[in-house]
Formats: sequence, structure tokens, C-alpha cells
Amino acid sequence: MRLTTTTTLVIASAKTPRANRTVALWPIGFALVMLIALFVIPSLSGRTVTIFSVYNSLQSFAGLGLVALALGLTMIIGEFDLSVVGTYALGGMIAVKLGGESPLLGALVALIVCGAFGALQGFLVARFAVNSMAVTLAGYLVALGATGTIGDNRSQPYANFDVTGVLNNPILGVFSLRSAIAIVVIAGIAVLFLATPLGRDLRATGGGRRASRTAGVRVNAIVIGTFASSGMLAALGGTLQSYGLATATSNPGLSPLIFAVTAALLGGIALTGGRGTPVGIAAGALGLCFLSQLFTDMVSPQFVTSLVTGTLLVVVTVFATPSVLRSVARVRQRSAQRTAA
Amino acid sequence: MSAAIDTRPKEGPTAARITRHLPLARVFAIAFIILLLVGTFTTEGFYTLSNMRAILNSASVVGIIAVGAAAIVIGGNLFSMSLGTTVAVCAMAFLSLLGAGLVVAIVGTLALGAIIIGLQGYVVGRFGANPIIITIGAGALLEGAATWISGGTSVNPPPDSPDFSFLAAPLLGIPFPVYVFVVVVILGEIGLRRSVFGRQLILMGSSPKAARAAALPVTRLTTVAFVIAGVTAGIAGVLLGAFNQSGTLTTTGTLTYDAIAAVLVGGLAVAGGRGSVLQAAAGAILIAAISDMLLLRGFSPPLQMLVLGLIVGCVVVLNYVNSRGGEVR
Repeated sequence: MRLTTTTTLVIASAKTPRANRTVALWPIGFALVMLIALFVIPSLSGRTVTIFSVYNSLQSFAGLGLVALALGLTMIIGEFDLSVVGTYALGGMIAVKLGGESPLLGALVALIVCGAFGALQGFLVARFAVNSMAVTLAGYLVALGATGTIGDNRSQPYANFDVTGVLNNPILGVFSLRSAIAIVVIAGIAVLFLATPLGRDLRATGGGRRASRTAGVRVNAIVIGTFASSGMLAALGGTLQSYGLATATSNPGLSPLIFAVTAALLGGIALTGGRGTPVGIAAGALGLCFLSQLFTDMVSPQFVTSLVTGTLLVVVTVFATPSVLRSVARVRQRSAQRTAA
Repeated sequence: MSAAIDTRPKEGPTAARITRHLPLARVFAIAFIILLLVGTFTTEGFYTLSNMRAILNSASVVGIIAVGAAAIVIGGNLFSMSLGTTVAVCAMAFLSLLGAGLVVAIVGTLALGAIIIGLQGYVVGRFGANPIIITIGAGALLEGAATWISGGTSVNPPPDSPDFSFLAAPLLGIPFPVYVFVVVVILGEIGLRRSVFGRQLILMGSSPKAARAAALPVTRLTTVAFVIAGVTAGIAGVLLGAFNQSGTLTTTGTLTYDAIAAVLVGGLAVAGGRGSVLQAAAGAILIAAISDMLLLRGFSPPLQMLVLGLIVGCVVVLNYVNSRGGEVR
């Protein structure tokens, strides 16, 4: 067994049992509140809300939820993969270009290319100790440039409408094959994370790299594997999105990245690494999809969405900083002492 | 004949000996320069007076923003991802304010840029928030606010606006923005090297922990570094607004990434504390020259972005390897 006292200490210092409970419940609570708001707020303004809004939210979740998980996993190991928005676009474009006859082949090539691209970035981060934000900024530019080059700098249609139809057909009113694939993949990763030593090693790597390495965690393999997974997950998100919408976009802008960071932070991931689970990230992403659908149902202009998502990202980032977390902990401690007295 | 392996260093001018004395980063830098020279000499129309003027003009706008970006990166706060959006908003503000007079428009635009980016710097410095994420969020916020205020349409100068054409016209055969670029670089270099602020900024970038231990005003230093970036974004906004005579959120293209690439190609350390404004300026000229060469060779904008990404990636890795003496982990 590779786990030693040092690793246990790293994990323990990163997450106390109490913190565990809070992190696990808060994102799920957020998703539930957003789901309730999705029905209540439009009703208050006299608009009709149907179960179709939940279906739409889950359709968005199929693409963006996977991007959030891709980024969130790298954040758990204390890194940050800015290139997820590039591999999201690149995966979608490769799938559309190569998956006309065989959608599985298109998806497979997209996953392999983006996985290898992620692994290369992970190798640079792990081997040379380069700042992952700088490396993945370059990765973002390369992936986006490659997407635009493959797609002639414009959106590319996907002519296989049978696939689009099958992916979007409603299942039980709210699901579709598209959202079901994403949910199964996210659930599989959550099981791997929670039920195998992998999750522990990931959090240990994020909690303290040197101590983890001393304790026997194969840190470099974890970093490279996480970045490869990040590339593949983002590519799968892009593939599902492109097949589902029958279009691959050559430049999705920064909005998928804004979504992913906000979802990860709302899901209990710390920017310092070592904290959070795929379940939290998925719950954060789901809550954000409900919020986004709420704006669509309320027929809000695009700039309102930009204002809200930008503000939300700044606020959650500030609240996730160690200094603010320490202040919150101090206030809680004082409150507990007063209650005890 | 002895089968023992001679492990002594070879004295002859072998390739291994050369590379041992030339760090990996220098070998790649030399290869890059050779590639660039071959590329430019084989590009038709590159070495012409009009093209040199175009490169200088393009480099000046990117370079002015890169000076501000250098202040942020030297202070150890990585990059601002909202520089391009701020330039676009400043260009729109400049054209809108022209009705109140040219001086008011310029001063108001620079102040707007300083406030927009300075506020982000305050949040980063005060709370220790991640600069890239804060600036991405602020960029979205800024885009939303600009679309709300402008109604999503392009901004044009009012009919009674004063003459501002000199801001985009050549002066003594050289585009006006080049003069502004030179002045900004000189002021930036003097400010960084000769002022207390500059030295404190370098110290903060070298070691944030030491800076806090030395009771340096980290929040103020970070805010001022971002304010400088805001002012340079404002200057670029004025020049771009004057050149295009209209302003929209989409006019800036890849300015953010060009400025970041200029800073990195100039050799400034991503981790902060190392580099100069002059290096950033040189990086901007190099990036402008490469972009121009790619354009002349018929590279599409996405292909240009791909090349830019490759250059940034190589430079980032080589800078790290070089600064650690080739150490790997």
C-alpha cells in the first residue's frame, strides 16, 4: 500500500470531516435552489414553465458539465487548465469533420487527439514545473487556432441528422441520450474518484506535491493523466454539443470557460487545490445550467447574462480566496463560542 | 585494446560540448531567430519601407498594452485577460466623449481604463484572488455593461467633434502611435528602474511572501500595477478609436493574447520579479513582425493564432528551463 502517514496528513490538512460535509451538501443545495427558482421566478411574472426547461438545462449540462469537470479535476490537483475551452471547440470540430459517416469514429478521434494534447500539456507542467496557466494559455491558442484552421474559420454543419435526432430525443421527459451519456461519464468518474485510491491521490497531489511524492504518490503520472482526462472530457463535451446542435463552432469565446470556473468554484473546488469532488462540480454545473435556462425563460437580453455570469465569477473567486475563507472561519468560530457560552 | 569507457569530458568541439556550454533555451532562441530570418527573407514584400511602417504601427499599439501587461507580470500577478475588452471599451468611450473636447476625451478615456483595470487589481491585491480568473470575470462583466450602455451598436464620433485625425496620421513619415509607444516605453522603463514603486514591484514579484514579511503595501502595489495597465489600455483605446473612427467590442481581435505573447517573448518571467519594459517592447515588435510575415504569406487568422500559441508555449517552457538552469523535476 503506497499511502503513508504523510499522505494522510496532506489529505487531512486539505479537508476536515466537517469541511467534507459542507462541501458535499452546499453545491447540491445550490442546484436544488436553482431548480426551484427555474419554476418559481417565471411563474411570478406570469410566464408558463414546463418540464421542457429542465430538459433544456440538461442538454446544456451535457456539453458544459463535462467542461466544468475537465477543468475541476485539474483544479483539484492544484493546477488550472485554461485550454479546456480550446479542446472543447477542437473536439467538436474534429468530430463533425470526421464523424459524418461514423459518429463513433469522429468522437474517438476527437477524444484521442484532445487527450494527447492534454497529456502533452500535463507533461510540460509535471516535468518542468511550469505554471499551468501559462502553458494552457498557449494550449488554448493552439487548440483554438487548430479549430479555426480545420473549420475554415467558420461554423461547420453536421449533416448526419439521424445522429442529432437520436441524441436529442427526450427520454422520460427531461433526459436525452446526449445528457444521459454525460451523466453516465460524470457518474463513472465520481465512482472512480470516491471508491478507488485515485481520488485520494488526486487530492493529495493538490494538497501538497512534495509530501505526496515522498509518500509514494506518482505525482507526475497523476498530473499528466489528469490533464489528458481534462482534454478528453472537454472534447467529449464539444462532441456531444456539436452532434446535438448539428453544428461545430470555430470559436465559442470564453463563455464555456467562465461557466466551467464558476461551476467548479460553486462546486466546492479550491483554487489552492486538494479540495472538492466530481459530485460537487457536477452539482455546481447543474445549478448554473438551471440559472442560465432561467434567463432564457425570462427572455433576458444577452448582456444581462454576461453581467450576471461575470459578477458571479468575480464574487465566487473572491469568496474562494484563502483570506476570505479564513475570515469566514473566524466568524463561524466566534459564533460557535458565543453559542457555547 | 581496452574495453573501458572513457567518461572524461571530450575536449574537441563536439555538438555535445557546444550544447553543454549553450543552455537549451539559447539553442532554441538561435534556431528561432534563424527560422524567423529565413521566413522574413523568403516573404515577398516583407523588407519594404511601407511594410516596416505597418509593422511599427501595429507593434506600437500592442507594445503600449504590453508595457502595462509587463507591470502586472513583473509584480507576480500573471496576466490580465480583460485588456483587449478594456481597449475596445476605451475606444468606444473616447469616441463618445469627443463632443466634450479632445483633451476631455483623452483624459476621460485614460481615467476610465485606469478605473476598470485598477478595480480588478484592487480585488487581486486585497484578497489574493487569482488574477486570470478575476480578469476573465471582469471581462464578461465589462462586455455586458458596454453592450447595455451602447445598445450593442458601434460608437461613432459626434458630428461636432474636434479634429483628432493627427492621432492616426503619420508625423515626419512615421505613424503617430509610434511616438506614443516610444514615450510610454521610456516612461515605463524609468518608472520601473528608478522609482521606489518599481523596485518594490520587482521585489513583490520575486517573492510575495518576502514582500508581505517586509511590510510592503501589497494591495497598493498590485492596484497601481493594474492602474498602469489600465492607462496603457486607455492610450491604446484612444489610438485605435482615432484610427478606426468607430468603436465596437469586436475591434480588438487578439490584442489581449498579442500583448501577453509580447511580454513572454520579451523574456519576462511568468512567475514575476524578472524582466523589463524594454524587453516587453522588443517582444511586441517581434510579435508584430511575425504576425505581419504570416499575413503576407497568406496564413489565415486561426493559423496565425495557432503559431502564436506555439511561440508562447515554447517561450514559457524555455524561460522556465533557462531560469532553473535546465533543472527538470
